[in-house]
Amino acid sequence: MTAQQRIGISVTVNGERREAFVDVRQTLVDVIREDLDLTGTHIGCRTGDCGACTVTVDGEVVKSCLSLAASADGADIRTIEGFVDGSEDLSIIQTAFWNEYGFQCGYCLPGMLFCTEDLLKKNPDPDEAEIREAIDGNLCRCTGYHGIVRAIKTAAANTAAAADKPSA
Amino acid sequence: MIYVDDVRIPGMHFAGILRSPYPHARITSVDLSVARNAEGVEFALSGAEAAEHSDPIPHFISPEAFGGKTTDVRCLALGKVVYVGEPVAAVVADSRQNAEAAVELIKVEYEQLPFVLDAEEAMKEDAARLYEQWDDNVVIQIPFTSGDPEAAFAAADYVIEDELRIQRYSTQPMEPRGYVAVWDEHTHNYTFYGASQNPHPLRWVLSRALRVRESEVRVIAPTVGGAFGLKMHGHPEESLVCLLSRLSGKPVKWIEDRSETLLIGAREQMHRFTVGFNSNGTISALKDHFVANVGALGAPPGWGMAFLTAMSLPTGYKISNTDVLASVVTTNKSPWNAARGFGKEASNLVMERIIDMVALRLDMDPIEVRRRNLIQSHEFPYKTAGGLNIDSGDYHAALDKAIELIGLDQVRAEQMRLLAQGRYLGIGFAFELTPESGDIPGTLVGGFDTSTVKMSPSGEVTVLTGVTTPGGGNDTSILQIVVDELGVEMSDAKIFQGDTTLSPYGFGNYSGRSMVTGGNAAYLAARDIRVKLVEVASRMLQTENTDIELGGGFARSIDDPSRSVALADVAYTVYTLAFATATGVEPPLESTRTYQPGNIQQLPDADGKINIYPTYSNAVHVALVEVDIDTGKIDLQRYGVVHDCGTVINPRFVEGQMEGAIAMGIGAGLMEQSIHDPQTGALATDGFKSYLMPRASDLPMIETRHQITPSPYTALGLKGAGEAGIGGAQAALSNAVHNALAPLGVTIRKMPLTPGNVLHAIKYHE
Repeated sequence: MTAQQRIGISVTVNGERREAFVDVRQTLVDVIREDLDLTGTHIGCRTGDCGACTVTVDGEVVKSCLSLAASADGADIRTIEGFVDGSEDLSIIQTAFWNEYGFQCGYCLPGMLFCTEDLLKKNPDPDEAEIREAIDGNLCRCTGYHGIVRAIKTAAANTAAAADKPSA
Repeated sequence: MIYVDDVRIPGMHFAGILRSPYPHARITSVDLSVARNAEGVEFALSGAEAAEHSDPIPHFISPEAFGGKTTDVRCLALGKVVYVGEPVAAVVADSRQNAEAAVELIKVEYEQLPFVLDAEEAMKEDAARLYEQWDDNVVIQIPFTSGDPEAAFAAADYVIEDELRIQRYSTQPMEPRGYVAVWDEHTHNYTFYGASQNPHPLRWVLSRALRVRESEVRVIAPTVGGAFGLKMHGHPEESLVCLLSRLSGKPVKWIEDRSETLLIGAREQMHRFTVGFNSNGTISALKDHFVANVGALGAPPGWGMAFLTAMSLPTGYKISNTDVLASVVTTNKSPWNAARGFGKEASNLVMERIIDMVALRLDMDPIEVRRRNLIQSHEFPYKTAGGLNIDSGDYHAALDKAIELIGLDQVRAEQMRLLAQGRYLGIGFAFELTPESGDIPGTLVGGFDTSTVKMSPSGEVTVLTGVTTPGGGNDTSILQIVVDELGVEMSDAKIFQGDTTLSPYGFGNYSGRSMVTGGNAAYLAARDIRVKLVEVASRMLQTENTDIELGGGFARSIDDPSRSVALADVAYTVYTLAFATATGVEPPLESTRTYQPGNIQQLPDADGKINIYPTYSNAVHVALVEVDIDTGKIDLQRYGVVHDCGTVINPRFVEGQMEGAIAMGIGAGLMEQSIHDPQTGALATDGFKSYLMPRASDLPMIETRHQITPSPYTALGLKGAGEAGIGGAQAALSNAVHNALAPLGVTIRKMPLTPGNVLHAIKYHE
């Protein structure tokens, strides 16, 4: 085995510039969790199948277990800790998941929230089939997706209602 | 929320585990020298070295206690391996990456031995034997008989013989298992953080395996990311991680890969059954001799599921002549652990297939066959052939509700219409009995639990309970009971679970028990405090204690609601005027109570039978599918369920449990299976690309209706919730597919209903 190699990377995480000196074998999710200590991003499979590690990189929803941290140099990353900008309040999407019981154990929740945000950005009025398709890359084992689908429907309706309302 | 992988301890190191590549082999040498010198490696351990410092892991449910055989299960294999994936050696390194790299440098020499993967093969006399000290591969054979089956079969108008193969599948919560162990040399104490359903019983297991006193182990279960039985204990890695911490002098973390989670199996059974019935649809006799392939015998409670499959037959049906025999067989697959349903799902699947087979033979409506054989509401409590004493229910009313829910007449009309176009729509019903909140005598699978409720001088409420939550919401529901009883606001109450130092002794989470035991215990404890609050409040308001009601954070006079006092003031008075206003009311405002449900019978009756379950939830499931006979693909169009778990504390949580379990049952019905390579004995389905679980697009919304028949044996009328759904969903799906394919005369004897299995049955009628 060759000696462990490390490389310095610089990323923007949730709007903040962070440096990390990473083991080249580390995946992005490892660095997010271990080096940046943002443990809201979870690991369920390390093979890109479950979506527990979902974050956004440069605005795109990605599974952070599928890329090496070294390749993220210069990237703009958003994790669940930065899901809501500078506010203590839950967002419309988070509130919908809370009210509609869109999670049980919470492990898949961050990924589901990112997928919902991405869906509603691209398709503000999704039907049930489109909602299901949008979260097909993310596994949940507790809810049967029932509460999640209900939450996304509510989130879509409330996002539309908030957009209609003239701002005070 | 802190899950176990979020736990950080200063100086924490990481474990890597080398696993056996062979299903059956003698270990001839283990060379750790290269691994020990690898980068970042602190320590390495072989099975022989581990055995010098540890003892076998006690079985969660020892087969020996029930007349079966047992074997020593150790944290690292000693002498030989009996399944692919068995832990053989371990390293401790400064990073996960270094630990994994070092594992590759461990050199082990094996002498391969013949192996067996199929349970019926394993029962043959010349089969490879896993454990040399056994005279065969059978752990235990458990018979349940009643009446005179032979005579009943002889007298029956009809007799059907058939079989059903249930695949091996697994629970797979999204959070894999993980443990962090910290040995403190100075205090001679382990602190163990683990994704665990049962912290207190685990503490006992760790103390036995690690040769320390129970008081020298503290188990803390952080937030658990789903469990479903998989996080019940007996896994070798639990004591291994502890031992690695003690021997290396470092805090050690181990978080498994999904390929490791997928090794944990469950549920594989081969049923061969005979059923006798008369022309009016009354079933008089049932014989079911089934074989459960439990893999290698592990220390977790998995094998016990086969026991309960047998005990739970013939579910809610009145069949007075039964001959049930469970053969629990070891093979060179990885061990089982508990899986939601705990064997009872198989009893339901088999019984519901039998009912539809009887209906088909008689050309009778399967609903009618159910009506004629299900226990009637006036017949409870009803003692079954397996010894279970079913508490209450109204199965016929639940059937009626399910018919209404699905709109049976319209659906059947649509079915006829589509059939004329060559399309195969099918509707399937399934009744499901879910015995819950079990107590297995002589084991730490206890039937009671304990909760503490405290109110501080500022009126804040703390609940500590011995039951744990895997994420289903029992913590909130238990709080809800306490908050309702004490009249405080939810924001003034907190609950703590899963810490052996903080919580009262408890058995944790399994068997839909958390509300029945922990919830009722919290209710009793809250009631004790309520009595004190009411008494002191009545003195403060100068009225009778019968004139006080609690609510919204206040105690107020019922006669004159304008007169009230804040509960915080009442609490403060209890603590500060204990010799004046509150005299005679024993401080502090704390109570610890245990709830033991009625209806558990640990001592055998005259027939030698025990009743391990206090409550019996039930459900009626209905599935609507369309089968594409060219591809074998099943399109699940609608799914409905009528669920009865007695009194419901929080409908949304109960529905959430039901929806999740049904999704798991649909997965089991349509796609999930653990497949072993017959050549190598290795698990072929070692990731989520090959072990397929339902994704959102695979499922419809679950249409749920509640029916409430309170249990007469529990304080609040609660029955267990959380396990129902697996067997019911499998059965409803299978019955629906058979109904769709009825014009083709197809019987599918192999689960799951994958396109391959469906097409095979259509093509070959076998």
